Amino acid sequence: MISKKSSIPALFLIPLLALAGCAGESPDSSSESESGSEDRTQISFIHWRGEDKEVFDDIIAQFEEEYPEIGVEMNIYPSEQYQATGQRMLTDGSTGDVFTSFPGAQFEAIANAGFFEDLSGEDFVGNFDESLITVGEKDGQQLALPYQLVFNMPVYNKGMFDELGLEVPKSWTEFQEMADTLLENDITPIAFPGADIGPNQFMNSMMMNNAPDEDVFQKLQNGEESLTNEWWVKTLEDFQLLEQKGYIQPDALGTSQDSAMAMVANEEAAMLATGSYHMASLLDLNPDLELDLMAPITVEESEAEYEGINTATFMLAVNSNSEKKEQAKEFIRFLSRPEIASQYANETGQHLTVNDVEYESEVLQNTAYWIDERKTRFQPRFLITNAQVEAAVLSSIENVLGGADPMEAAEEAQQIVEENLE
Amino acid sequence: MKISKTIYLFFLPGLFLYSIFFLYPTVSALFYSFTDWDGLSDAYQFVGIGNYERALTGDSVFRKTVGNNLKFMLMVVIFQTLVALAFAMIVLKNTKTNLFLRALYFFPTILSSVSVAFIWSFIYDPSLGILNQILELLGLDFLQQNWLGNSDIAIYSLAITQIWFHAGQMLIIFVAGLQAIPEDLYEVAKIEGASKWQTFRKVTWPLLAPSATIVIAYTTIQSFKAFDLVFAMTGGGPNNSTEIIATYIFDVAFRSYNFGYASSISVLFMIIIAFITFLQFKALRSDRISY
Repeated sequence: MISKKSSIPALFLIPLLALAGCAGESPDSSSESESGSEDRTQISFIHWRGEDKEVFDDIIAQFEEEYPEIGVEMNIYPSEQYQATGQRMLTDGSTGDVFTSFPGAQFEAIANAGFFEDLSGEDFVGNFDESLITVGEKDGQQLALPYQLVFNMPVYNKGMFDELGLEVPKSWTEFQEMADTLLENDITPIAFPGADIGPNQFMNSMMMNNAPDEDVFQKLQNGEESLTNEWWVKTLEDFQLLEQKGYIQPDALGTSQDSAMAMVANEEAAMLATGSYHMASLLDLNPDLELDLMAPITVEESEAEYEGINTATFMLAVNSNSEKKEQAKEFIRFLSRPEIASQYANETGQHLTVNDVEYESEVLQNTAYWIDERKTRFQPRFLITNAQVEAAVLSSIENVLGGADPMEAAEEAQQIVEENLE
Repeated sequence: MKISKTIYLFFLPGLFLYSIFFLYPTVSALFYSFTDWDGLSDAYQFVGIGNYERALTGDSVFRKTVGNNLKFMLMVVIFQTLVALAFAMIVLKNTKTNLFLRALYFFPTILSSVSVAFIWSFIYDPSLGILNQILELLGLDFLQQNWLGNSDIAIYSLAITQIWFHAGQMLIIFVAGLQAIPEDLYEVAKIEGASKWQTFRKVTWPLLAPSATIVIAYTTIQSFKAFDLVFAMTGGGPNNSTEIIATYIFDVAFRSYNFGYASSISVLFMIIIAFITFLQFKALRSDRISY
């Protein structure tokens, strides 16, 4: 085992980024305060949600007013850039005293590099819903605290369903009957943005009951499971059926999320195969829509174990290399207060993992029942910790939607999985 | 003439920048290609030629990316060169119209690749895109395609965008090359009764070979490194059909956190480009003549 200085990768990366033109895009940086006093400690907060800048600016201002000895400098990076370089910024502890992480591959990589400070035992952990923060645990330690709760399952036009006398289907047979009725009314049942996020979002609800074992992808990566087994081949066959019966729009693999959203906003399609995070945007496009969430149940009613998908993401964490850990924890403690979390939730249109949040907007209130009253499971895709395996899984869906036989697509993907087994 | 030793000092800034921005990353990549470094940890282990073995024998996605890259490169090199040469011959004379046309053809080159990706993603959109709408308007519905969503043609759709993006740049090189050919040679060819094709084949092309060499070599390298366009337009999909080596290196390094393996692919990538460029230089050198 050889140890190395962290400056080496940094030096290696900087010229690469500079030459690639990536460095030209500087992060969106904001700080509501100047270091007015020498005693003031400035902490760095890095994340990827540019759309939340305004509300975070306001929350940071409140924090600095209450804790004048701590300043917060927030840097926001585009999500792709954050995914690529965010973790690297943590290496020397000068940036990202408080940082955020995606669940899945990024969380695993940062955990393996030892950049997460263990937050187990911190009083503010109790401010979060215990059942929704397990994704931030590893080896019995609470390394990160998911802040947002999204439902990665189709958004549907409830008003349209009511008008056509349609009920939310409880089985695969009922789902097909519902889709046929929509087709008879010249409505595309599902707008599927296959060119970008469609496969990685819709796969979750399509497989949730075909493979109710939540460890299925862990087993896949251990070599104990195979994509050629029934749970995945059936999922691919279900995708094939959606495509062949016209339940998703033609040329779905060329459709972007903007186009798919336009289809639902214009009421050409009844469902958008993405997630709850698009509800606010859909209402911006068409305020008359009445929306709710609905996942396809791909088995018979008696066999269905789950009703939907949840993802606890935007995981707040403290950099273990930071010299300002206490101040960083203070900031997370502040973010986890119900009144602050409520402000964040309502101004960003997101459900949160924090207890006692008051949801004010109609959409958040109308869908809040999914948090407590419905049986959802954590997004299976994020349980694939090897990005190459994840890509293979997603490719098999694209392959089937492109016309391939489900078993052949599964075999092709399984070969890639086996090439990437540890 | 005796050169003062101080003149060597003037090399130092350039040498310094070259070392920092090229030599060091290249040597580092070579070094890490023999390790399992994840790009984050302070520690790594040497794995010998394991990464190279994996790339060459045990990674079907890498093999697919090489195939995709070759398809993309061939289409771009052939058609971009032909389009640029044809347009260069059309706008060769320095008239006002031609100067305007040259500027117009060059214009896409100054756009950012993300803007180009955005424009062309919209053009190719199967339902809202202007390309399919134009085809419908012209009664050519049978030619309508799912341009970026069909894995059989997506790589060629990207190649068309790449050609549109960079042909203007190559046009300028060809114009410069064509304008440097002495007019006398064309007059002699005319007197000798040479046809237009014979004049092109025996006069223009041989004397244009140095420019063509630059254009083809540069286009080859450019098409291998078309990372931004591919990344922004398809992200390598569907089903890896547009994944090229550069985007795959990014995935392996920054999504899978396998810098060691990504470095080995980068080294192979460099060797592939060097080999193809060498072959092109050899082939085009045989076409060169001097008068």
